[in-house]
Amino acid sequence: MTMTKVLSDLEDEAGNKEQMAHRNPEKREGSRGSHPAEPMGTNSEIARKLKQYYDELVSDEVPDRFSQLLEALEHQEPSRPDANED
Amino acid sequence: MSSAQSFRDGLLAAVPTLRAFAVSLAKNTDRADDLVQETLVKAWDKQDSFQQGTNLKAWLFTILRNEFYSQMRKRKREVEDSDGAITARLSVHPSQDGSSDLTDFRKALALLPEDQREAIILIGASGFSYEEAAEICGCAVGTIKSRVSRARSRLADILGIEGENDFGPDAIAVQVTNSPAVA
Repeated sequence: MTMTKVLSDLEDEAGNKEQMAHRNPEKREGSRGSHPAEPMGTNSEIARKLKQYYDELVSDEVPDRFSQLLEALEHQEPSRPDANED
Repeated sequence: MSSAQSFRDGLLAAVPTLRAFAVSLAKNTDRADDLVQETLVKAWDKQDSFQQGTNLKAWLFTILRNEFYSQMRKRKREVEDSDGAITARLSVHPSQDGSSDLTDFRKALALLPEDQREAIILIGASGFSYEEAAEICGCAVGTIKSRVSRARSRLADILGIEGENDFGPDAIAVQVTNSPAVA
């Protein structure tokens, strides 16, 4: 699958849905094409734990080093800086 | 200047989810943070190749994933030698309140092969579509689906969860349509 293909799929959800329907004939109406809101099902214990696991990680406090790094990158010109702030 | 600024803001906004993905891949927060840092530097250097209007998050995940596998290849011997040690000191989140079942989940996740772990994270947690996940991993959509399916069965096995083992490759799509949350 080419990049262009994927991008055009993303831009055209309707077309994509049609394509997915071809791929998954059993799939019923009402599915969300390529963007499954709950790809693993809401009843799935694994899906629930996976989300819980990931959400904890996402809500983890972000170390300052990243904003400092980005600031440093923004104020330096294209040449690659020595990124180690610590 | 303002375009550099908005690009920077975009990168900064993506850091929490990049870190979550990195920890999931690397199984270790120090390595994960190094991966995120390397990703930000690479993204900055390559910002001209990012197409405005396309998915910045997917682009960043692709860079991070490539970086992870390239580091993996470099450190392969080290990783093999200390795999047990790495698993033993899996990062434990300070704010996890009595979620001992999540500790088990974390360990189970760490036992999955990389390709299955990244697939189930991208689809089940990071919110990517199958097409986006396939693009990020450089493989076919069907491959992602089967990896997610295998990851799920494997996790069910390890965790002793009943009722999730019988799903074939198409079960995930079926699950979606049956899910009441999908309006």
